[in-house]
Amino acid sequence: MQKTLYLFANGRLYRKDNTICVEGEKERKYFPVESIRDIYVFGEVDLNKKFIEFAEDKEIILHFFGYYGNYVGTFYPREHYNSGYIILRQAEHYLDSTKRLDLAKRFVQGAVANIVQVLKYYQNRGKDLESYLYAISLLEESVSSVSSVEELMALEGNIRRYYYESFNTILDDTPFILKNRSKRPPTDPLNALISFGNSLVYTKILTEIYKTHLDPRIGYFHTTNFRRFTLNLDVAEIFKPIYADRVLFTLLNKNVIKEDDFENQGGVFLLKERGRRLYVQEFEDKLRTTFYHRRLKRNVSYQTLIRLELYKIEKHLIGEELYEPFVSRW
Amino acid sequence: MDLLSTLFSLEEELSKVIGSYVQAFFICPRQVWLMSRQVCPDEDNIFLQIGRLIQKQAYSRERKEVHIEHLALDMIKRGEKTLVIAEVKKTSKAIEAARMQLAFYLYELKNMGIEAEGELLFPEERKKEILILTPEWEGKVEKVKQEILELINQPLPPSPHRGRYCSKCAYAEFCWA
Repeated sequence: MQKTLYLFANGRLYRKDNTICVEGEKERKYFPVESIRDIYVFGEVDLNKKFIEFAEDKEIILHFFGYYGNYVGTFYPREHYNSGYIILRQAEHYLDSTKRLDLAKRFVQGAVANIVQVLKYYQNRGKDLESYLYAISLLEESVSSVSSVEELMALEGNIRRYYYESFNTILDDTPFILKNRSKRPPTDPLNALISFGNSLVYTKILTEIYKTHLDPRIGYFHTTNFRRFTLNLDVAEIFKPIYADRVLFTLLNKNVIKEDDFENQGGVFLLKERGRRLYVQEFEDKLRTTFYHRRLKRNVSYQTLIRLELYKIEKHLIGEELYEPFVSRW
Repeated sequence: MDLLSTLFSLEEELSKVIGSYVQAFFICPRQVWLMSRQVCPDEDNIFLQIGRLIQKQAYSRERKEVHIEHLALDMIKRGEKTLVIAEVKKTSKAIEAARMQLAFYLYELKNMGIEAEGELLFPEERKKEILILTPEWEGKVEKVKQEILELINQPLPPSPHRGRYCSKCAYAEFCWA
């Protein structure tokens, strides 16, 4: 299986013959190019066009992050899986408002189902989350009856507000508190951590979209403007609760990431390198975890699960099978 | 690619049969339908990579990959009487499908006015088979071409069926997701 390369330190990233070379202040490391799927660049890394061309040739995706751990952008190599047919179908499902709303609802329903799974998991571990589960279940019922994507957005926003509020109960043994969800910039450590996890999920899904025939610029729930990636945001709705949030709770409840892993820069909070490394490690462990897939009749990893989800969307677009989002059962 | 040219290339795609469809048709018709929409298989699939490698490395001294109109021939050489075209395969597991693909090439070439003989090559097994286009083969090819055209013009792909090829197929994850 191909791996993800995370670069935290400052240095140089370049092509050395047919190998990827990472040169830091102290050491130099080589990575076989065939074994790398994507590279996450967090540090101040110098790279040149020759390296970009190398990445393009080997179909490696580069995700760049800024000083605050904020997502900057992605080098998305020229498409190699090109299917005019799928792109037309994707556009068709966007332009037809009924089809678009139907798909958008499916993403939200999947997201809510996974949110509920996460809450139930912690409910079973003695956290009193009944009121949140109740409030969310009431809102969940109205998802099927909304008549526009805008309405759906608002509804999903309300569900998320309850969900984020519940973080304080789940994390009541820790010093972390979430007052309000604030993204740009994060105004407390927990917000910084949520954003960091989410951007990892967004980019992971983008990496997998690259391996399918889907065009990441055409999304259904998030507004498409053909200038930025949106399909990965749609799909991330489903995976954020089970990938990013579960990792976050594990790390904070086990006291792995602590208050001093954050830096306060005039009211803006940022996860320091140690914290990022720990988060990424736990996140990668999660993606490598496998479980038995009944239809495929073999074990699949959480990483592969993302790809399978994208294939299900393709089949929905073809008209073969209605898309049913993945819902975690544990 | 703009939408209009996408539409036209799609129409063209659904009106012609190519060699790989013929081969795939005997393995899995669903695969043919997907291929006709350029829904290509997962390139990370190890068996697919091995197949590509064999095709690239075997017989590297002889002439490789010739494209004539819609035909992609693995190898062309001069025989004693006629031209010889060869098709290289990883294994002889699906030999019937490979024979049909080669017969299809010979048939299409004949229609272009090119007379040729065929050779099936299995470098890993050090095996070779000669194929000559007989009227019987011609009849079979015509029938298959017709069946494939009908198949790819269906609005939906045939549903997946678990068969002996599924376990190593690069489409498996797509089919069973």
